[in-house]
Amino acid sequence: MVDWRLFEPLFNYARKKSLWIVAFCTGCGGIEMPPLMTSRYDLERFGMMPNPAPRMADLFLITGYVTPKTLKRIIITYELQPDPKYVLAHGSCPLNGGIYWDSYNAIKHLDRYIPVDVAIAGCMPRPEAVMDGIKKIMEMIENGTADGWKRYKENYEWYKKNQDELFGEGWREKEARRWIPWLKKK
Amino acid sequence: MLEIALRAFLILIYATFVGFMFMGIIRIVTARIHRRVGPPIYQPILDTIKLLSKKSNITHGLIYDFGIIYALGATILALMFIPLGNISILRAYGDLILITFLLEIPMLGIMFAAMSSGNPWAGLGAQRALLTLLAIQVPLGFAIIALAQFYGTFSTYEIVMAQQAGGWSIFHLPLFLAAIAYDIVLQAMFGKEPFDIMIAPGEISLGPMVEFGGKHMGMLQIQHAIALFAETLFFANIFLGGGSILVLLIKQVAVLMIAIFIGAIFPRFTIDQAAKFYWKWPTIIAALGAILASL
Repeated sequence: MVDWRLFEPLFNYARKKSLWIVAFCTGCGGIEMPPLMTSRYDLERFGMMPNPAPRMADLFLITGYVTPKTLKRIIITYELQPDPKYVLAHGSCPLNGGIYWDSYNAIKHLDRYIPVDVAIAGCMPRPEAVMDGIKKIMEMIENGTADGWKRYKENYEWYKKNQDELFGEGWREKEARRWIPWLKKK
Repeated sequence: MLEIALRAFLILIYATFVGFMFMGIIRIVTARIHRRVGPPIYQPILDTIKLLSKKSNITHGLIYDFGIIYALGATILALMFIPLGNISILRAYGDLILITFLLEIPMLGIMFAAMSSGNPWAGLGAQRALLTLLAIQVPLGFAIIALAQFYGTFSTYEIVMAQQAGGWSIFHLPLFLAAIAYDIVLQAMFGKEPFDIMIAPGEISLGPMVEFGGKHMGMLQIQHAIALFAETLFFANIFLGGGSILVLLIKQVAVLMIAIFIGAIFPRFTIDQAAKFYWKWPTIIAALGAILASL
């Protein structure tokens, strides 16, 4: 049997250099993504690619405020991703609500529901700020401190309690019934 | 026996490495056309290492695993039949029809896996891929018939030998027409832009690939690299005169560049437009080539 821990530095380098992004944009920060991906700032230099499928994505960008309805999709998409997975929260809205601090329909603290690895301050962060955040998350991946996916596994009870408090028990099944044809029942 | 196994292994390593470099070239050249810097050339290798080193892996049953292995195996088998300079091992048995058939099999393997995952996007993508496969059969068949008619043989190796004596295939008018048709078909086999209907990112979320993650996707990356190498190698052999490994590599890159340039500047067809296009223009060109070759 090969001891795969020997290759861990190589794997971490590969993970750092090939972050695939889920194409899931919430709120206003989605508009910062086109200049980042196209010829102005060109994130593909660092091997980053927008990817429509959550199954092969690593990096999840929460670009802006999160409503409870979006949060359901975010949690499901986050759980679809295979395991070393990282979350980057843009702007002040996922941190503390931002300008929606007294809104009845925005999530104030995103890290109560899914683990956030790096948060970028600002409303909205410029592409340079986003690139700075991405550089930070690359450093964290290389020295192994980007462990949001581990925290989500270890503290799953706590995250699930918070999610259930917001949406009510059994929201996953209800949500799945609404969208997946062969689960639909009367 | 041992020597043959060693040669097969070396061919496989070489094909995988060059295939990954081709994938890198595709990304760099596309980026330069977009006036971007683009990723480093070894980026697909890093992507594959990352995908293979994923800690969790989702499977949807036996067929889901089997389809990937099936696609990879068929690609490797096709590679072994294609003449590669003088080190290829099965080149004497390489039949034109056999190789074209084996080069299309991987798509069926991916279809198995995608359909068994039960994802609606994957089903839609599989449907589109099968229709594309059906659409490219007609011009492909005529191009193969033109070649066989012109040289009087189905053996790839003998065609390469005949070209060493009588000049490249594309310098003869009937085969030039067949080469044009085959090159348009190649665009769909690579899954490049005007005919990337089956993967269509942003439209049907990568289609058949949507459910693959982790190690399955890593295997598919390796399969894609080898398939890219095998398809360009086949074209360079039957139309551009073959040669030694180094000469072949230059010809392969030339074939790849044409595909990239076409892919980078054209938008995507819808599936009915693609089928109509394939059944009209490449078919007419290739049929004309076949008729001229038989005169």
